[in-house]
Amino acid sequence: MKGEILYPGAFPMVRIELAAGEHIKAESGAMVASSPTIDIESKMEGGFLGALSRKLLTGEKFFFQTLRASRGPGEVLLAPTVPGEIVIMELDGVNEYLVQKDGFLAGAESVSIESKMQSLSRGLMGGEGFFILRISGKGMLILNSFGAIHKIELKPDQEYIVDNSHLVAWSATTSYNIEKAASGWVASFTSGEGFVCRFRGPGVVYIQSRNPGSFGNWIRQFIPVSE
Amino acid sequence: MSTEPNALCFGQEFPASGAPSLVYVEAHGLTVTFVSDTSGRRSEVASFSDLTVLAGGQDHDQLVLKWTGAQGERTIYLKNPDMIRAFRQAAPDHMADPLERAVERVRQVRHRRRMVWSAVGGVALAFMLGLWFGADLLVELAVARIPVEWEQKLGQSAYKDFLAQQEIMKEGLTVSAVDEMTHRLTAQIPDNPYKFEVTVVKSDVVNAFALPGGYIVVFTGLMKKAGNGEEVAGVMSHELNHVLQRHGLERIVKQLGLVAVVSIILGDQQGLVSLARQLGVELLTLKFSRAQETEADLTGLQLLYRAKIDPSGMISFFQRLSEKDEGRMEWFSTHPMSQGRAERLKAELVAMPKLAPVPFTFEWAKVRESLGVQPAPVP
Repeated sequence: MKGEILYPGAFPMVRIELAAGEHIKAESGAMVASSPTIDIESKMEGGFLGALSRKLLTGEKFFFQTLRASRGPGEVLLAPTVPGEIVIMELDGVNEYLVQKDGFLAGAESVSIESKMQSLSRGLMGGEGFFILRISGKGMLILNSFGAIHKIELKPDQEYIVDNSHLVAWSATTSYNIEKAASGWVASFTSGEGFVCRFRGPGVVYIQSRNPGSFGNWIRQFIPVSE
Repeated sequence: MSTEPNALCFGQEFPASGAPSLVYVEAHGLTVTFVSDTSGRRSEVASFSDLTVLAGGQDHDQLVLKWTGAQGERTIYLKNPDMIRAFRQAAPDHMADPLERAVERVRQVRHRRRMVWSAVGGVALAFMLGLWFGADLLVELAVARIPVEWEQKLGQSAYKDFLAQQEIMKEGLTVSAVDEMTHRLTAQIPDNPYKFEVTVVKSDVVNAFALPGGYIVVFTGLMKKAGNGEEVAGVMSHELNHVLQRHGLERIVKQLGLVAVVSIILGDQQGLVSLARQLGVELLTLKFSRAQETEADLTGLQLLYRAKIDPSGMISFFQRLSEKDEGRMEWFSTHPMSQGRAERLKAELVAMPKLAPVPFTFEWAKVRESLGVQPAPVP
């Protein structure tokens, strides 16, 4: 399995080459084009209840699509819904990532995806909702972001502060606390940041350069009100 | 022994995501073998005496071991429960305290999270229970906000639709008798916001019903069955009070409420619109709850009393209907009858001061005759 990002920037696609018999699971609706040797199957990852909990809890799609090179080698082109970058990672079996619910695009079959409940304060104020995805296992993992994706590397005990709705994914070895952006409550909100996450290494934090919620609010003013 | 990495090692020269490594717990301490592809396999050793123990990671559920070796600072993250157990067993006594502290920290985090979520769950449950049992209160609040004009429009359309298919009695003894009853009763309603409209419909159905907004239909079948005018007035008083207590509206809001919630969940706003259109039909098949029937009974009885109409007519008519040989009747199905209901009214009546009833001006026998009932010995 080989992955390559085409047209890096705002509107990228990812091309994945599959050897005969190999397969990859992707977010439902992510497939753009494929070789005729590829079969698309729909699968409820983690069984019916797992899929249901993922759908209800994280808002992720109920089904993943499985793209299988069942009739010989081939390639598939995948793209996310939102404009933004794609990043390809290789999981080594011990590394584990927590991914906000819209961040997952595709992963090798040996990559496991489960919903995870956050603590109350993180769920309320972390900006990713109460449920996020815990992704572990071994193999290729493809994430997407809204805007450009930026990787922050943290050494042990190194700290970094991230605005809560810019998070894409972060290593399970990091830890974070939610705190006010400024020292006072009023300043926290008038600064436009509200809550921020103070991350503590070691590990990697992927952030996106645009905030989907703010973008939605901005674009709303241009949408004509229908009768 | 497995050669799959079981831990992540962090250090100055390793990538920020950590170097996959294989940790063995041995008698003297740890042996850490790095399995990264680029640097090949090499091992480092750390003795127990050099190690600092902490809990770390997203949920503070990983065991973090730190030491400074010949190659610089090292941090190991262990998350495999078997590895953590093995480490705790092999660790010498002087590490028991820090280990216990790390374990205690994990316990605290889990405990706190469990407490917070059970508190949230408790609040949510209380809220749902409140909604479940407070639903009637909410419905009442909602109904109180609906203006009488809306209610009248709602009732009027259903009333007109219904009457269009029926044979209406416009004049005659029956109509004037019903008008007299209506006047006697409505004159005793203080601050009456409704303009009551009562129509007599020619039909053998033994029934009468009220629509929201003050529209009342009495079937001639009911009048034929009644032994005297007071019995009919009793039924009318009951129906008037369904209107005054806005029972119909309460049912509609309740039904709409449930369907509205379901349609919003299913994202089916269209269903909501068509439901509102169907309302006219729904009104005629509306059934009142037992509590509403009881309320209409009691307030109906009080209204009869104020209008100086003999309230025992209401009771005797109920009893007449509940007699077995009367068979199934329409009024029976929309107004579930029970002996208890008549008994309750009787008890209520006994508690009221004695009334000197003022009789109606019409002769009931003649009204019945005009309906085609042969004069029979009065029961």
